[in-house]
Amino acid sequence: MTTSPISVAGASGASAVELRGLVKTFAPARRSHDTEVRAVDGIDLRIEAGEIVAFLGPNGAGKTTTLDMVLGLTEPTSGTAEVFGRRPREAVIGGHVSAVLQTGGLLRDLTVRETVRMVASTYAVTTPVDEVIERAGLAALADRRVSKCSGGEQQRLRFALALLPDPRLLVLDEPTAGMDVTARRDFWDTMRADAGTGRTVVFATHYLEEADAFADRIVLVAGGRIVADGTTAEIRARASGRTVSATMPAGSVATSVARLRGVDGVRDVEERGSRVVVTATDSDAVARLLLLELGGTDLEIVTAGLEQAFMTLTGDDRPVPPGTAHTGGTHRTESELVR
Amino acid sequence: MNATFTLLEMRRITRDWAGMFFTAVLPAFFYLIFGATVDAKDASIGNGNVAMYVMISMAAYGAVTATTSIGGNAAVERQQGWGRQLGLTPLADSSYIAMKALIAMTVAAVPILLTFTLGAITGARGSMRAWALSAVLCLVGSAVFAVYGLLVGTAFRSEAAVGAASGTMVIFAFLGNLFIPLSGTLLAFAKFTPLYGYAALARYPLTEGYLPDGSQDPLWLPIVNVLAWLAIFGTAAVLLVRRGRERQ
Repeated sequence: MTTSPISVAGASGASAVELRGLVKTFAPARRSHDTEVRAVDGIDLRIEAGEIVAFLGPNGAGKTTTLDMVLGLTEPTSGTAEVFGRRPREAVIGGHVSAVLQTGGLLRDLTVRETVRMVASTYAVTTPVDEVIERAGLAALADRRVSKCSGGEQQRLRFALALLPDPRLLVLDEPTAGMDVTARRDFWDTMRADAGTGRTVVFATHYLEEADAFADRIVLVAGGRIVADGTTAEIRARASGRTVSATMPAGSVATSVARLRGVDGVRDVEERGSRVVVTATDSDAVARLLLLELGGTDLEIVTAGLEQAFMTLTGDDRPVPPGTAHTGGTHRTESELVR
Repeated sequence: MNATFTLLEMRRITRDWAGMFFTAVLPAFFYLIFGATVDAKDASIGNGNVAMYVMISMAAYGAVTATTSIGGNAAVERQQGWGRQLGLTPLADSSYIAMKALIAMTVAAVPILLTFTLGAITGARGSMRAWALSAVLCLVGSAVFAVYGLLVGTAFRSEAAVGAASGTMVIFAFLGNLFIPLSGTLLAFAKFTPLYGYAALARYPLTEGYLPDGSQDPLWLPIVNVLAWLAIFGTAAVLLVRRGRERQ
């Protein structure tokens, strides 16, 4: 029943998404001395039909703004965005692209089925309302008011709405933001059940785990630019590396640091009082050395955080790229990554 | 125009019992108290009687309460992300506005019909021309306050603010000479307030501009009042919508 997306793309000769020199700037807040904000700072990207691509980056990296331009919700300051060779708004009108946006955006006083019917009525042709409700796992809640649905259920409703035009490209902007672990798992199970149809899927996330589990390709975004683009395996290899830290016996910190710097695969050694912090690809070797030979205690091994992955990938020592600063973000990102 | 969409929007409004009470029932109740049961109800005014004068005033009050709240809630809804959701569909902004306008006019018609029906039963008297023209003017003029609602909704981005905007209609209604006949300085001031022109225009087919205190407004006065407030609300709404777009 479903046409292969590859042959569809071949027929029209266009990529699913093509971004050229995409830039979006925002005027600074009134009465502030800030310069204009460059939310998206020159993105070139081609996504072929049938790909499942994760846009991975911290909050404020420019993911949502980029996807807004793919969906025609925002006009680029310069550069172009094309979806299946068309202007984004035309692709939306033709039902070729749809999206699940971040939280907000539903009418609380409608029921689930009424919401689907209302949005369905804006299209000339759609997948039947009941079929969409079934596929999004909402059959049991169809007559429930949106206001009585949990965050995860509302997100499944947005997913149902996105399925209505049977789009060739589905965009998901942080689809599981604010969901608990169970709701996140349920949402991705629903997505996976749908993925067999060969749809092109582009999703933004700041959970490395989600990108890893669901995407074929990861595009790392920071400071409004693409800092890495590759298959999931490639990005993982490059972003891997763990931080090993231990408390050293008094007076031995300097000699330990010198020893550790000589170990293969060690990228960085740092002194923090009586502790040493080592970033390395082979954390086992470092741990063994610290515990068995150097007399280290209180050993800790932490998977590299997303920000550290950025530093590795960009060779940049800035802790957070411009425009992505968020207090406390490092801790949160790390906990998300090790979950 | 999309029938399913419009009907579902209508269903949302009928679910809001409190809103429907303030829009439809309260003005009718006010008419019964201030119009149908007062001693002077049969006293003649222009082409009809006092009961009809009060009936038109209350119908106008109900109509603007409806349009203010519909215009305001549309603005709040759109800013709370529903606008982005609709932006993912083929629905054009112009169709959306047309549907919301149709809904606002339909809902505004409810208090007008209800109050006029009660009026016909309880002794409001006037020429046929006055009945018909007043109803049409009540309905059409209430659109100005949909823009006012839109303005408040865009400025404050909350349903509570829209509720408050509907509530301020009570104050505007007093100042607009809708609830009690004003005179003297207060009346002179009232002529500059937003509901005065609209209500005076809606009553014009009945009163031909005569006021309860015996003075007369020339026809241009309510027309200028309505157009001026439409321009003020419209300009402010456009500026705010534009500012909101820049900030996104």
